[in-house]
Amino acid sequence: MSASATVAEPLVHIRNFRMDFGTQTAVRDLSFDVFAGETFGFLGSNGSGKTTTLRALLGIYQPTAGTLHIAGKVFEPRDGARLGYLPEERGLYKKESVLDVMVYFGRLKGLGRAGATQWSRSYLERVDLADKADVRLDKLSGGQQQKIQLGVTIMNSPELLILDEPTQGFDPVNRRLLMDIIEEQKRAGATVIMVTHQMDEVERLCDRVILLKDGTAEAYGTVEEVQDLYGGTVVRVRCAGLLPASDLFDVARSDGDLADLAPRAGVDEAQILAELVRHGVQVRSFTTARTSLEEIFLRVYGTPSEPVGV
Amino acid sequence: MAQHNLSTVIGFEFLRVVTKKRFWLTSLAVPLALAVVFALVFLSNAATSETAQAQADTQLVVTYTDDSGLITDAVAAAFGGSEAPDPAAAIAAVKDGTVDAYFAYPADPSTQPIRVYGVDKGIFENGAYAAVATQMLVLAAQQEIDAPELAAVVQGDVTVTSETYRDGVVSGGLDGVIPPLLFLVVFYVSIILLGNQMLNSTLEEKENRVTEMILTTMNPTTLIVGKVLSLFMVGLVQMLTFAVPVVVGYLFFRSNLNLPDVDLSHLSFEPGAIVVGTLLLLGGFILFTGTLVAIGAMVPTAKEAGTFFAPLMIMIFVPFYVVSLIVSDPRSLIVQVFTYFPYTAPVTAMLRNSFGSLSALESGIVIVELFALGFVALRLAVYLFRYGSIAYSKRLSLRDTLRRSRA
Ligand SMILES: Nc1ncnc2c1ncn2[C@@H]1O[C@H](COP(=O)(O)OP(=O)(O)OP(=O)(O)O)[C@@H](O)[C@H]1O
Ligand SMILES: [Mg+2]
Repeated sequence: MSASATVAEPLVHIRNFRMDFGTQTAVRDLSFDVFAGETFGFLGSNGSGKTTTLRALLGIYQPTAGTLHIAGKVFEPRDGARLGYLPEERGLYKKESVLDVMVYFGRLKGLGRAGATQWSRSYLERVDLADKADVRLDKLSGGQQQKIQLGVTIMNSPELLILDEPTQGFDPVNRRLLMDIIEEQKRAGATVIMVTHQMDEVERLCDRVILLKDGTAEAYGTVEEVQDLYGGTVVRVRCAGLLPASDLFDVARSDGDLADLAPRAGVDEAQILAELVRHGVQVRSFTTARTSLEEIFLRVYGTPSEPVGV
Repeated sequence: MAQHNLSTVIGFEFLRVVTKKRFWLTSLAVPLALAVVFALVFLSNAATSETAQAQADTQLVVTYTDDSGLITDAVAAAFGGSEAPDPAAAIAAVKDGTVDAYFAYPADPSTQPIRVYGVDKGIFENGAYAAVATQMLVLAAQQEIDAPELAAVVQGDVTVTSETYRDGVVSGGLDGVIPPLLFLVVFYVSIILLGNQMLNSTLEEKENRVTEMILTTMNPTTLIVGKVLSLFMVGLVQMLTFAVPVVVGYLFFRSNLNLPDVDLSHLSFEPGAIVVGTLLLLGGFILFTGTLVAIGAMVPTAKEAGTFFAPLMIMIFVPFYVVSLIVSDPRSLIVQVFTYFPYTAPVTAMLRNSFGSLSALESGIVIVELFALGFVALRLAVYLFRYGSIAYSKRLSLRDTLRRSRA
């Protein structure tokens, strides 16, 4: 029994990770932690090094430098029974039947044949593919194959769920279904690391996020912290008439009669409203909101950045 | 866990091959093709007996003893034969090479075999002894009964047992060559049938992007060993598929098909050659499997793998270009090179083992070489799969992989 207060050990611990491919540096110097039970958004533009980081974490790549630990040690395939990994490059044995493939992976992850079969059948039922159990995988549509792959990923009730762009290829209905499934896993106690380009998904699901840029962390913290870092609140107004130029705010976005105004430092919302009224703008609605992640994303990556490494 | 995974992999890989219709279609195509070949051989038999006639015409110095009283001096002389005073002396003369052959005709040639003792002149020439011995009897019988039709019947029923001598010692002759040669046949059949599957065994994971799922779920060694073992089992099933129709056909339709009545008890199984043959077969199988799996792990697509496949296949056939040298002059440089070069070694060594020209030392070296390189190739295959197959569309640089795997 230890009486001293201990800081929770992170489930995933990455320090000074660097990854070179030949002369090209994909990840420069990356450090972050993911704690048990949280849902972590792993964000960044195309080619910023997200997939590379996940692969190095799972031992698929040998990191050039740095520490990448899961539960305090380097990942080994035998720990795979507690992991659910949905790779960016999806793929299963295409010439075998859906059920055979699911049961095979279930057994490799430590389930018994009967257990794996039973789980697979009820999952297929749930995702509306019960009639496809004995069909070859390559006879399924892309989205249907994605569902099978997601099933394989979660069938061992993983403690750590790593999803690289999980919604890629899903229609809106199935995207909703997938988000529900992820939320279920989360409620069941799984820690989730999720790469996605859908900022609304992040806002809905994630506790904390990291933004990768040029192979290193651009921002890292809770969703609110990151929002505050990039201008915090915005004022969203619906109005008629021209918006005046003012040194109280910048126009972050303007679209028809809707505009997002970013207050300058030390300015509060009431001052902005007064300023608008003073200039004769007819304000129909006036709300304050945090800067959307999408806005932040555009701001961080909107300007073309120097190519990484070289 | 690893044990459990291994059996899971083997079960999955084995079942998914043998439950496919295609597998059975291709497997059954081979015995069918064999049947066609047998039929052709049967039809061209007439031509072959003419060749035997030609062999019989080559002049040999032979002696004989005749318990049947059928052979006349005139007939014997026509074949260059003279009656021997007693069998023991006649055999001794064959052993020291003063005569080519000695034939012992039994009292009743239609039920008892003619025993033939000859100087070993290589397996093709040795056939002449039996031909001459038979021919002599047939001719004598024709003169005796003056009825060619009956003589033909005699000819069909005569059996001959041969024994040849090399340096005064019994050499196995054809009967001794056949059993070790069977290993060579098994080697060819298994490599030709399974080669493509070996090559493609990890390509499927790569082409279908399954590698990441696999690498985060189990040890790649387990996967590759499991795949190799399941391939081995598939091979056994396939061999059985070939063997069953042949054996059934032989046992039940022998007389209808007019197949030769091969008496298996004549085959001499020399334990040394059998053990060496088994080890050469296993070692060669492991080396080729490891190499093919490694190539598959190195290249991104089946098409690219094909460019490596052809040279390997050529290497298992190229020893046959020098087969006469392998039989007659195993000391020659080219045979030595083929014996030790790893990819020609299995076939060359198995041939030499069959003809009894592979010394214990040579077989030891080749066997160790094959097993050692086979395991190196398998380890390399695991490494290549482990660190290379994620570069899905890139051919992997071997040096790069090794450097990374050491890191
Ligand atoms: N196997 C590889 N060999 C060489 N370069 C690679 C390899 N894998 C990734 N890279 C490079 O590393 C960089 C990061 O790639 P990565 O796949 O990690 O990006 P990402 O953040 O996942 O992008 P996306 O959002 O498009 O999936 C890219 O510039 C890419 O070209
Ligand atoms: Mg990616």
